[in-house]
Amino acid sequence: MNTDMLITALARDLSPEPALTRGLWLRLAIALVIGVALVGLVLGFRPDLVAALLFPPVSGLRIVLGVMLFGIALRMALLLARPEGASLLRTWPLIAVAGLAGIAVIWALITTPVADWGRAVQGTTLFWCLSSIPVLSIAPVAAMLLTLRRGATSRPELMGAMIGLAGGGMAAAVYALHCTEVNPLFFVTWYGIAIALVAAVSSWAGARVLRW
Amino acid sequence: MTERMIADEDDWALLLKAGMAGDHRAYVTFLRKVTPVVRRIVHTRGRHFGDATCEDIVQDVLLAVHLKRHTWDDQASVRPWVYAITRYKVVDAFRARGRRLDLSINDFTDDLAAEPGPDPMQASDMLKMISMLDVRSAQVVRRIGIDGYSVAETGQDLMMTEGAVRVALHRAFKRLASLRERHLE
Repeated sequence: MNTDMLITALARDLSPEPALTRGLWLRLAIALVIGVALVGLVLGFRPDLVAALLFPPVSGLRIVLGVMLFGIALRMALLLARPEGASLLRTWPLIAVAGLAGIAVIWALITTPVADWGRAVQGTTLFWCLSSIPVLSIAPVAAMLLTLRRGATSRPELMGAMIGLAGGGMAAAVYALHCTEVNPLFFVTWYGIAIALVAAVSSWAGARVLRW
Repeated sequence: MTERMIADEDDWALLLKAGMAGDHRAYVTFLRKVTPVVRRIVHTRGRHFGDATCEDIVQDVLLAVHLKRHTWDDQASVRPWVYAITRYKVVDAFRARGRRLDLSINDFTDDLAAEPGPDPMQASDMLKMISMLDVRSAQVVRRIGIDGYSVAETGQDLMMTEGAVRVALHRAFKRLASLRERHLE
């Protein structure tokens, strides 16, 4: 087929293409509702949820960090969905979130007696944390991967990882509605590991789903 | 950036915007302006592929530019966007043709390289891919893409409404892009 003929044929197919983000917010809202419902029905909200949310410094920190990670990583994923997006990427917001988590850890190290560090890291709900966050991230990660397939990323793996971080961030914030482990030594460690796991799996999926 | 490139850039952005709003002629002009630039990049990077394969890659890029036009941010410049699509598709082509490439390099002589192809615009893969479409889609693409009929004429020929022809054409292009992607692996 002659290239000029291809051009003419392509120009016959000019029906408007919806924006890349069409449907994304609705799907993410549904994912959020599913997550909150799962936590509420299966794990149960923490009994002091309202009080904990009203006096947030410590226990609200997990939600703040999770939401920040969600917003920043999603922004990066949306940028990466454009072919030239990788060259426009700025990583400092992500580093800032990590820095904030780091400050929380340092603060915890100062306020927790050295003898209790080990116990503080271990917590009592390790298994639930490590299993719930990946499960809760399935819906948001799937919503983002399937919507943003219509993108044209030059870095499918990196974009998959960013989607994983965003989904993991949302899952962590939702799981915090149940979890009463407020020591940063616990949640930065294990939430962090759970989110990293989600990002790795999502990166692997992205390498397959986001190719074009 | 030279002044000419800036003028080109404005040109490209205006044409693409008009094209996306449904202006057929602006869109054809846009793709015709993009094509030689893409062709030059593909030929520079993929010299040893031969003319027909290079043109296959050019067509891959044009198909991708078309199907992914919604990923262009109309506040951003068009060139980096087109270059990024081109780079992605060229890298893909290298990866996919790596093995075949090694074989052909052994047979490579200056005589062969100097021999002009029959038609620099002619690619080989697209026809193969079209024949892999379902009968109806293949008919639509052949009528419009090869015989140069309009949507209306194609509809009359195939007893389809214009809307149905458009839908079939759009699906066929998407299918062609994914066939090429899979075929390359």
